[in-house]
Amino acid sequence: MARSTLFRVLRPLSPRARLVIGVLSFVLPVGLWSLVSYVPAVWHPQVMITDPGSVSYLDVGAHLTRAAYQSELADAKQEGRAPPRGVPANPIYLPSPGEVLKAFYTSFTTPPETRDGQWLHQSLWHSIQIIFWGYVISSLIGVPLGILCGAYAALARVNEPFIEFFRYLPAPAFGALMVAILGIYDGPKIAIIVIGTFFQQVLIIANTTRKLDPALLEAALTLGTRSRQLLTRVVVPAILPDLYRDQRILLGWAWTYLIVAELIGTTSGITWFITQQARYQHFPNVYAAIAMIGIIGLGTDMLLALLGRHLFPWDRSLAKFA
Amino acid sequence: MLRRPALGLVLAWIVVNAIAAGTARAAPAPLRIGYSDWPGWVAWQIAIDKGWLSEAGLDVKFDWFDYSASMEAFAAGKLDAELLTNGDALVMGAGGARNVMILITDYSNGNDMIVGRPGIKTLADLKGKRIGVEIGLVDHLLLLDGLKKQGMTQNDVTLVNSKTNETPQVLASGQVDAIGAWQPNAGLAMKALPGARPVYTSAQSPGLIYDVMTVNPASISAHRADYIKLLRVWDRVVSYINDPKTQADAVQIMAARVGLAPEKYQQLLAGTHLISIAEAKKIMVKADGLGSLYGSTQNADDFNVRNAVYKQPQKIDGYIEPSLTAAQP
Repeated sequence: MARSTLFRVLRPLSPRARLVIGVLSFVLPVGLWSLVSYVPAVWHPQVMITDPGSVSYLDVGAHLTRAAYQSELADAKQEGRAPPRGVPANPIYLPSPGEVLKAFYTSFTTPPETRDGQWLHQSLWHSIQIIFWGYVISSLIGVPLGILCGAYAALARVNEPFIEFFRYLPAPAFGALMVAILGIYDGPKIAIIVIGTFFQQVLIIANTTRKLDPALLEAALTLGTRSRQLLTRVVVPAILPDLYRDQRILLGWAWTYLIVAELIGTTSGITWFITQQARYQHFPNVYAAIAMIGIIGLGTDMLLALLGRHLFPWDRSLAKFA
Repeated sequence: MLRRPALGLVLAWIVVNAIAAGTARAAPAPLRIGYSDWPGWVAWQIAIDKGWLSEAGLDVKFDWFDYSASMEAFAAGKLDAELLTNGDALVMGAGGARNVMILITDYSNGNDMIVGRPGIKTLADLKGKRIGVEIGLVDHLLLLDGLKKQGMTQNDVTLVNSKTNETPQVLASGQVDAIGAWQPNAGLAMKALPGARPVYTSAQSPGLIYDVMTVNPASISAHRADYIKLLRVWDRVVSYINDPKTQADAVQIMAARVGLAPEKYQQLLAGTHLISIAEAKKIMVKADGLGSLYGSTQNADDFNVRNAVYKQPQKIDGYIEPSLTAAQP
């Protein structure tokens, strides 16, 4: 792969180069992470105690900065006491890839320990349902409204200034209000996802609608299309591939509101797992849960991209870059 | 109009399901109680897991919350009862959520602490130093209580407002000389900065912070008999935890609820003095000083007003309802 074939403005890559570079986009960060985790010379600013020796305040597993460890070691040697022992370590908030991988496996295989507890896959499924309903409700209103705003300037003018204002309000700020209206279970959580997604959705879809090629409209009018048919027969079919792509991006948007949404009312879903593990600093589990969300999100998006290529075979940009 | 009826049906089905998803799980149980991560409240998990609630003829649903989310849910009228500190019960009440404390679950007996960085050995060493603490919350109260005993006031130190669950990092950063936090944060702070040690803990001021079950007054009058039964279950929980024969099983259940190893949970339990009904009867008597829930709550009220948590001093008597505890055998 010569440099000249890799870096050409707005040109697609060869299938082979696409695959290799796509894999690299994961291999590079994980490789960097492994390097920092497994090669002590790179970072390892702390010492993990394996034997406290004569130092009263140390426990096995305690983390100490290198400087503090050296001074304790020197003191112990000078006074002829048993020296502490330890191995170089990273801070506990940066577990190694191996630890995270192990946590990934064990968190799924650990049965719920309390009688009203849930398996991790049940928690995840609950979270997915929250996202799904939040996204569906938002789309049921947001997509038609977005198209109408894009098509009719008057509707855009009456809706968009307010929506522009409202979209800056942080969705979590509505938590207490939603609990008061919708209770403490799934209602307020779904509402937060809707609030977080809906306003962006209307604006993005209106924008997409406006970018429609005016030549299509003129051609349709020349052929005698009536104004109402123009919307259903020309505008909607023409923007459908772009609309589909917007919806994919917005689904990702909905996911980003999940954690704040699930902290409202009763703690549930994957958020229960993440916050509880973080509170007791079990960071490998936290990283594993974050990875799960990433895998579900990326997996869904890839499936939808694949589906998109079958639904809209004429859409060239989708085939090339998706 | 939709030309394809099938599509209309699908849409209708989606809407109906969405509404059902939002409301189905909210089917009203007679009593709904919010609890969160504190040993004295996690203790209820034993009654839940052992089935003691239904055994007592009670239909009670315990819902797990983040602490502040449970206060929001109670204030919104979505919960019958809630577990929190006596000081925070006043904060909720001052905000308009009327509530009455009917049960004392425990007092903090060392689980709240002021932790000094290595080199800080006593509270007196903190004169003129910077202290990270969540202003207006219980450990701010603990700090002032400790400083008072040393003849100091808040003006002798510089407070740095820090979220309690971030205090371990705040202390480790070296930008403060001490922090105020409850467990597990305090323990994590000491683990993150070996050599750091507690210079003052709630064990030196028992009764400064009581943990209570507080109830919506309307729910008490509607379910009085149920609450009396519920308090009896609490006594059973306390005996189960305090009995050396069953303690291991109790700790196992509580540790599982919060996702911690049992031996680590044992330490957290040690910093919490659980209160049996017999002991609660003595604490729920009107008196000055921290030995009484009235005195302790008055102290918390003074603190809250002084720190502008709310403006209007609260009438303490209206917040405490000792008759349900007194009705226990």
